[in-house]
Amino acid sequence: MMKKREISKTLMYAVLVIYAVVSLFPFVWSLLISFTPMTFKDAQGIERGVDIMQWPPEIDFFELPPHFFGAPATAENYREVFNIAPYGRWILNTLIYSALVTFANLIFDGLAGYAFARLRFKGRDTIFGFIMATMMVPFPAIIVPTYLLISNMGLINTFSGLVLPKLSLVFGIFLMRQFFLNLSMEIEEAAIIDGASIPRRAFSIMFPMAKPAFIALGIYTFLNTWNDFMWPLIVTSKKEMFTLTIGLNFFKGSFFTVWPYMMAATMLMTAPMIILYFVSQKYFLEVNVSSGVKG
Amino acid sequence: MSLRKKESLYGYLFILPVLIIIGIFMIYPIIMTFWYSFTDYDGTAQSKFDMLFVPEDALQFHFGEFIDDLRAEDASRLEKIFDSVLLIEMDIGVKLSEEQKSGFSNEYFNIEKIVDDFLNRNLAEQITVKEFLEKYVEGKGRGLIYYKPKFTGLDNLSKAFKDPYFWTSLKNSVMFSLIVVPFQTLLALLLAVAANQKIWGQKFFKTTFFIPSVTSSAAISMIFSLIYTKPGILNQIIGITGMPPVDWLNDPNTALGAVMAMNIWTTAGYFMVTYLAGLQQIPASIIQAAQIDGASPARIFWKIIVPLLKNQTVYIVTMGIISTLQVFDQIYMLIKNLRNVTLSFYIYKNAFEYGDMGYASALGVVLFALVFLITFIFKRIYREERVVEEVKR
Repeated sequence: MMKKREISKTLMYAVLVIYAVVSLFPFVWSLLISFTPMTFKDAQGIERGVDIMQWPPEIDFFELPPHFFGAPATAENYREVFNIAPYGRWILNTLIYSALVTFANLIFDGLAGYAFARLRFKGRDTIFGFIMATMMVPFPAIIVPTYLLISNMGLINTFSGLVLPKLSLVFGIFLMRQFFLNLSMEIEEAAIIDGASIPRRAFSIMFPMAKPAFIALGIYTFLNTWNDFMWPLIVTSKKEMFTLTIGLNFFKGSFFTVWPYMMAATMLMTAPMIILYFVSQKYFLEVNVSSGVKG
Repeated sequence: MSLRKKESLYGYLFILPVLIIIGIFMIYPIIMTFWYSFTDYDGTAQSKFDMLFVPEDALQFHFGEFIDDLRAEDASRLEKIFDSVLLIEMDIGVKLSEEQKSGFSNEYFNIEKIVDDFLNRNLAEQITVKEFLEKYVEGKGRGLIYYKPKFTGLDNLSKAFKDPYFWTSLKNSVMFSLIVVPFQTLLALLLAVAANQKIWGQKFFKTTFFIPSVTSSAAISMIFSLIYTKPGILNQIIGITGMPPVDWLNDPNTALGAVMAMNIWTTAGYFMVTYLAGLQQIPASIIQAAQIDGASPARIFWKIIVPLLKNQTVYIVTMGIISTLQVFDQIYMLIKNLRNVTLSFYIYKNAFEYGDMGYASALGVVLFALVFLITFIFKRIYREERVVEEVKR
């Protein structure tokens, strides 16, 4: 009996290790390629090509600089990304887009979440149920009227055009309501007895208590907007207005792609989100878990 | 004002911004999708008057004379040779429909005003064709400046019925959902169960499995497009078994499957964390009691753990269905063959590459219906299962 359990435990462990390798491998491999030159001069001064498809890759971390795929590592690809494309501008665009959307969502979703959880008014639960139902609406299905709306307002290739349809996320309202529902009633009741007005109760008592929820919503929104693809693809047509996800196509050649550049660009847009994830992991898990429990 | 009334007032006030945003950017587009689906909405016709031009340049071409050589006395001579349709079609360069030709003809054009503005040099600034027409077209022609789609009833739907690419994309979307959702759910469950033991590195695994889901689908697509190339790493690894290399993304038989595998890879870790949180809420005493009763691990898994995770499963499967049915980014980045695209991509293609927005809207309605239908069926099955279980008890 004991032995059987040991075996199953080892088997489970093997599953975890294999899947961890499968999860990490594409990132590590891309990272190595992003530091690999296309050609290099060997010890004899002869120009040599590099085979990034080499398998298993020839890797030597103990040389200086370290060697990947048999070639000395270089940061040149990263510099080149900024030279051949307005990559700095795209970073700025993506930052502005993500920051504006996040800021708006914190305010609007926060207010609505509080009202739906803590204030009593007629039709509250019906309205909330209705809003939740729109979560099922697939964005591609309503993309045409949304585009025409923004286009008729003359907002193609503008930040307003990018941001407007994203000012409030249904999921954000859900998340904030959930959090306010779980806060204890006592403190707010004490405030009511003290005769505090509703704005005072909301802004000076409840919102500060909801700080973790606001941080979680902020991070979640920022990440999703940073990674957003379909909407920026449709609203931006000028290179100067691209976000990072749309700009990535720029590195895809029509005949062949310079993979080290492509991977450098990919790593540059991916790394900030992975770092954000590492430093604020507990908030990510909070969003994930609180959405799963209530089904 | 009573406290009760104040509370309602603030309640409505606080949800007002959200209601406005959802009203404009969710409810209105939903209604319009349905309306456009009954029309021949033409994206190129809609935007053809948005073009910018300099009226003075166009008029110099039209009259064949330089503005510097002209004087106020030339007005009546210019008025006689002016032809509005020729100006718009030849000198500005916008093709007109027969209806527009008659609406914008000299009869409805304020010729006196345009020649006057031209000679007084009021037209040197760049404006859109729409603004230009608004200035000079009068009477019945004005209505033709603004694009109005024609009501065509169920034409779009019958077009879809006859369109083989519509059927292919519909089938691809359904297949995508039917294959990806069970795989990602089972994989997530398997990983969660594996990680839910007292083992070293549980936190490490949780962190690692989550990473693909914080990465943009555009970036992941680029990484996988390199993995999937013919001389790529995947072919080299499976080549060890002697299998010939496959051009995964360019071969129409494997392209969609390759994207599905990538999709499962991206989401399984995310849902694993959801399952793990659920597993950690199951009291150890329940499992121990079952073990003492001599239940096999398989029995414990299927009869105790899986039913207790039902909330998580409903959430994961519902979210899975909704997101897989609208998969777009990865198809846009990786698929080249129209035989392998999904319905979302085919909507995009029709609306923004062919300009056929009426047809795209009709396909949007189909996508709506599909999401509702599949979610509904799933909820139905789940509910029935619960009823059966309750009866058993």
